[in-house]
Amino acid sequence: MLFFENKGTFNQHMTKMPLSNRSSTKYVNMAACVSENDSDKKLEFFLKVPFPSEREAAIALQSLSPDPEPRKGGITKNLDVTGHTLSVRWTADEARILRVSVSSFLDHLSLVMETLDAFGPPVSQ
Amino acid sequence: MRRTFPHEEAFSKAILAVVMVLQPASVRSNMTVVIGFEGSANKIGVGIIRDGEVLSNPRRTYITPPGQGFLPGETAKHHRSVILTVLQEALDEAGLKAEDIDCVAYTKGPGMGAPLVTVAIVARTVAQLWGKPLLGVNHCIGHIEMGRLITNAQNPTVLYVSGGNTQVIAYSERRYRIFGETIDIAVGNCLDRFARVIKISNDPSPGYNIEQMAKKGTKYIELPYTVKGMDVSFSGILSYIEDAAHKMLSTSQCTPEDLCFSLQETVFAMLVEITERAMAHCGSQEVLIVGGVGCNLRLQEMMGVMCKERGARLFATDESFCIDNGAMIAQAGWEMFCSGHVTELSDSWITQRYRTDEVEVTWRD
Repeated sequence: MLFFENKGTFNQHMTKMPLSNRSSTKYVNMAACVSENDSDKKLEFFLKVPFPSEREAAIALQSLSPDPEPRKGGITKNLDVTGHTLSVRWTADEARILRVSVSSFLDHLSLVMETLDAFGPPVSQ
Repeated sequence: MRRTFPHEEAFSKAILAVVMVLQPASVRSNMTVVIGFEGSANKIGVGIIRDGEVLSNPRRTYITPPGQGFLPGETAKHHRSVILTVLQEALDEAGLKAEDIDCVAYTKGPGMGAPLVTVAIVARTVAQLWGKPLLGVNHCIGHIEMGRLITNAQNPTVLYVSGGNTQVIAYSERRYRIFGETIDIAVGNCLDRFARVIKISNDPSPGYNIEQMAKKGTKYIELPYTVKGMDVSFSGILSYIEDAAHKMLSTSQCTPEDLCFSLQETVFAMLVEITERAMAHCGSQEVLIVGGVGCNLRLQEMMGVMCKERGARLFATDESFCIDNGAMIAQAGWEMFCSGHVTELSDSWITQRYRTDEVEVTWRD
């Protein structure tokens, strides 16, 4: 959930959300912040996804990063992996643009996780 | 070289066959197995090919109610819901496991963005899980390579006609060159959108149902005929017939069957004309029709008449290969993989626009 504050104070709301019914990754930590930077007035959205292993987090990163955002302007998205956590950071001009991008991403993330469940574990390298 | 006698050749072949059977399976299979993922429109298919043999080719189609077309978001949602099931089916029907696959091919483009991404994501994930190379394939080339494999046409003029594409293609010096194409919408798009206007069923496909209705048409309604040199245009015909449908059906001047019949006759004649023009340029004696609209028997009949007049041969495939399917991507992937192509994960982004002549066809002379 996003909270809007007139005075530009920092609001943070932590949500735990079930993402997959299968064994591997049950909950996803979502941190949604709205901060009014003096210069940007952009919305920011952070997502952290824990995976059972570093390898699977890396696989998810490689599967989810190649395609560009369908929308040319008004949104940026950055993916990164540290250890066995995939983190995603969005900046957007408008809430509706942010909603579409995050929503799409969560559908794709779900698909990656289901694929990992159904066709994993990864072969040894 | 000494001339061999027939029984000598048969004897050598028999010895070779016995030797091959006695080899363990792992030595015998120096064969290349490619799995292909296709989902650029409303069909989602996964197919497996081993050295020119189709081992499995399951597919699902997202069918919308009459009067409605398919939108990218909903189509992608449909594909997401079935793709893993279809993938498992493909492996089961082929009797193969992950380790038997040599390469994972998928449609890089062209097509609808959201469905393409959905399929690419699964292809990338399984390629990494199984430790296999990835290969992004051009959808149009998938159709062409499947057509070549199934029909064994040597060097045909290809008419590629579907809901998303209308091109006349011929191979020349390492490229599939586009000799003629639509300057606006694809012929299949014209047919599908007309089907929505007269609200006929989209099951199994709007084009199929137009074809059945056209057989019962008796009156020919004159429509615009828009061939532009080597190219064709369909959006004008579509606006005209949409308008005609509203006017003529309400006053019972004609039946929907008459309109279906007239539309087919007009657009197919246009396609035959531009195909013939390309054949004349290339001096070609073979025509290969690929793409979903290629299933249409009336189109095949009309093309056949033109070919007979020119002394050329016509090749077409049945609906399991005409209509988008996974095996065609696997087949193009097989050709590309065997000639050394591979797609790096960071380069595996999908693209809605991908010209047929952008790919260097290194597997042909």
